[in-house]
Amino acid sequence: MGSGAMAQTTERTSETAVPRATPQRCHDPYLRCALYGAAQTALGVTGCCVLSHSPQGCHQLVEAAFGWQNADYTETLTLCTKLCEDEIVHGGEDLLARTILEARELDVPIMFVVTACGPEIVGDDIVAVCEDVRSQVDFQIVPIQCAGFRGDQNQGTDIALDAMLKHMVTGGRDDRRIPRSVCLIAPHANANPTWMGDLAWVKQSLAQMGGTVLATLTHDTPLGEFQHVPLAQACIVLSHDAGQRAADYLAERYGIEQWCHGLPLPVGFTNTRRWLTELGRRLEAEQEAQRLIAQGEKVVVETCRRKWLEQSGMHRAPAAVVADATVGVPLLRLLTEDLEMLPTLICLRSGQAGTRKMLERELEELGLCVKVLYDTDVYQSKMALAQVQPEIVLGSNIERHAVEELGIPFVIQLVNPIARFRMINRAYFGYTGLLNLIETIQNDWLDRYRSKQRRYQARW
Amino acid sequence: MDAKHSNDDRIAFEGTLQQLLEKVESGEMIPKLQASHAPPCKFWTAFQVINGIRHMAPVIHGPKGCTYSVASTYKMRGCEYRGVPLEPTSCTAQNEADVVYGGEGKLLEAIKEADQRYHPELIVVLSCCCSGITGDDVETVAQIAAQEVNARVLAIRSEGFGGDFRSGYEDAFKVLMDLMEPRREVMKGTINIIGAREGPTYTEWIEDLNEIERLVYAIGAKINGVLCGGCTVEQIRRAASAELNASWCYDWGQKLGDLMEERFGVPYARTGQPYGPAATEEWIMGVALPLGLDKQAREVIRKETAAVGEELDTLRRCFEGKTALIEISDFPGPIRALSLARMAEEFGAHPIVVNLHPYTVKERMPSIKFLLQQGQNPEVILTRGLFSLGSFNVSSETQSEVEIVAARYDNAIYLGSPLRQPGISQVNMTTITGYPQYGYQGIRNMARLVQSGMEHATHPRSRLFKKVLYG
Repeated sequence: MGSGAMAQTTERTSETAVPRATPQRCHDPYLRCALYGAAQTALGVTGCCVLSHSPQGCHQLVEAAFGWQNADYTETLTLCTKLCEDEIVHGGEDLLARTILEARELDVPIMFVVTACGPEIVGDDIVAVCEDVRSQVDFQIVPIQCAGFRGDQNQGTDIALDAMLKHMVTGGRDDRRIPRSVCLIAPHANANPTWMGDLAWVKQSLAQMGGTVLATLTHDTPLGEFQHVPLAQACIVLSHDAGQRAADYLAERYGIEQWCHGLPLPVGFTNTRRWLTELGRRLEAEQEAQRLIAQGEKVVVETCRRKWLEQSGMHRAPAAVVADATVGVPLLRLLTEDLEMLPTLICLRSGQAGTRKMLERELEELGLCVKVLYDTDVYQSKMALAQVQPEIVLGSNIERHAVEELGIPFVIQLVNPIARFRMINRAYFGYTGLLNLIETIQNDWLDRYRSKQRRYQARW
Repeated sequence: MDAKHSNDDRIAFEGTLQQLLEKVESGEMIPKLQASHAPPCKFWTAFQVINGIRHMAPVIHGPKGCTYSVASTYKMRGCEYRGVPLEPTSCTAQNEADVVYGGEGKLLEAIKEADQRYHPELIVVLSCCCSGITGDDVETVAQIAAQEVNARVLAIRSEGFGGDFRSGYEDAFKVLMDLMEPRREVMKGTINIIGAREGPTYTEWIEDLNEIERLVYAIGAKINGVLCGGCTVEQIRRAASAELNASWCYDWGQKLGDLMEERFGVPYARTGQPYGPAATEEWIMGVALPLGLDKQAREVIRKETAAVGEELDTLRRCFEGKTALIEISDFPGPIRALSLARMAEEFGAHPIVVNLHPYTVKERMPSIKFLLQQGQNPEVILTRGLFSLGSFNVSSETQSEVEIVAARYDNAIYLGSPLRQPGISQVNMTTITGYPQYGYQGIRNMARLVQSGMEHATHPRSRLFKKVLYG
């Protein structure tokens, strides 16, 4: 899964799964390309400079990635070689070298050079150019070959992580590991628009169980963290959409084991309990894990009791999920077990190796009879929604507009893109995350009932 | 270095628009943006134009990234802010195999699939860098596909490296002319508004279009369509039979106006943006005279002018004897800034346009030459920060330079973005309630905004705002 070349529809019962492949020729995508994912990943390194070796349009992708990483323009810089016809015909290596040298006037510790389709097709050798100018600049240069045709944004994240680990982590396998230390991978490959909240929750939970985060790949990552990677006892992939390749590489190259592998991410009571329990076991902090679980569940229950949990709209409401795998797969259990909805359709926009099996296990365990679409595009999602006619769609602003003519009453905007401004990061992971999800569901649900027109005018 | 010398060092150019143009043309000022500043590419801008056509399905012959980017920027904004239903933005999702083996067959199938899926009136194939370099013949594929589908099919060669942002608009308008039927029976009293890009773009406001539509109908004329600001294929088809083309913004309409005049003989009203009473009158008469509606138009102008008498007094009082510093940023863009300069001058101010980048002079050469021919030749100041590398450097250096420029004049007023803090009376040109800025409604809004700027000149600006922007 992941290439998007073939979309598969699975009419699934609890007993059987029959995949039916439909070739995609005309595709209305939910995802950007590899260049964007690579830029997202690079921009997670504090104070870096990202140079896109591309025509100027591709620079807009880098700018979008800048926003996704909450980068600060007072410290992180983006540049572009703005390739034109001349460079496509005669090659753009000279221009790339000049632009790298021009960046000497900027005070940056590292430059990532990301390449777009054009220069890769015409054969610009960016690795050689970076090597040639390396001695003339006082910053590190990391070339990342991530042309858009190489895949979607999640594949771009994997490409960038691969380049970073190979260029920036020096030294071989070191068995003097720091006990209870971890490396967090791909926190940004998560369609929660404020995924930093999820990352913060993971870090806090690890700290409470005596764990140490040696490196985050990537978000607000100081350059120095890369050198700590080989010393980590374990790694945790914080996405079901990207990062597994990096985890596999760390296992193979440095013997770093992966924790929580195969477990749905901690969304909802059960997933969070399983996840914390697993971490507690790994960190030899079982008691603390159980304390966190008990305390977290208590807070959720008491908060819902005191502030009121509106159950009427959720109980046995047929629901569809249109999301990435990171949010979409674990959300199923929350909807089913905690909120008593009836998932009838799941459209996964993306997902990496292992996600399908995980979803199938979840559906099996939950006893759900659900229509499943993998690698869906906007058209396929809309057609499936029209066919299934759920009462509630948990998705994005795209679904909010797409279902307008379908008579589906409720659209809950959970995943990117959403038409909401969020100043504070809101986790979906963990217990506060559960409350955040409930709050969003209730607010969007009630919005449906708000009067859009007045029956008569007031007299004052 | 003394302070005065240091301040003078921050000025990169000071002279008239004509002098700046000459420096750009002679190569003395290099018309190139620094590496940290990149406007959209040709593909993006071509998409902006066709995105303003109803029931149009684009088939982008490229990877997903180009496609999702324009969909999320333009298509979704249209849904959010223009009341446009969500229509598809599809692509061939080119991958490595397509790059190696070519993707013409896939494109043909994608066009057929788009026709079956979306039932569009028009399919527009847009090429991207990948298909452009590998040499996929999108035009021929579009012609073949047109024989096999119900929709009309056009192709635009819009690979991002193929030209600057401006060429995307112009090439898209040019290709769309293939939809137009020959000029036959002229639709008397009917005009096209041309040059719109239902992006929506930063600088394109539906309220301005509404105001010029209101004025067109007020003089007794009709509008066939706004090309391409939410028009139908049918409106494009019969556009050549309109009596006249008028531009909603001279800069964007100019190319299509010239081409339609050349190919179909449709006359084109060459007028600038209707900012302030004189430019508004010119715009209205530019439409009315060729249509023989000058009598009605003069009556409309008389009534509308009388109705904004108070606001005209306010604008005169606020501008008279002042130096109006008009800085170009996301909004106002260069052409609006020049229109504002003309308006400020009309009300007795001495306008100075700040930071009209040589790049924009090059890109907008025909429009700038037109404005110069019309007698608009304001003073222009370019500061050093405009040419710095890095967005933050540009932003923070320009902020202090604008403060320096503002301090040179005793009685200056600043028109521009609230993101700048020039330390003088400041008019917020970007508030949504300030639109339209065109026409007589625009005069009302401008008067309110300028008066507010003057009245609140001594209110301290927010430290929070400044720290956020300038560190």
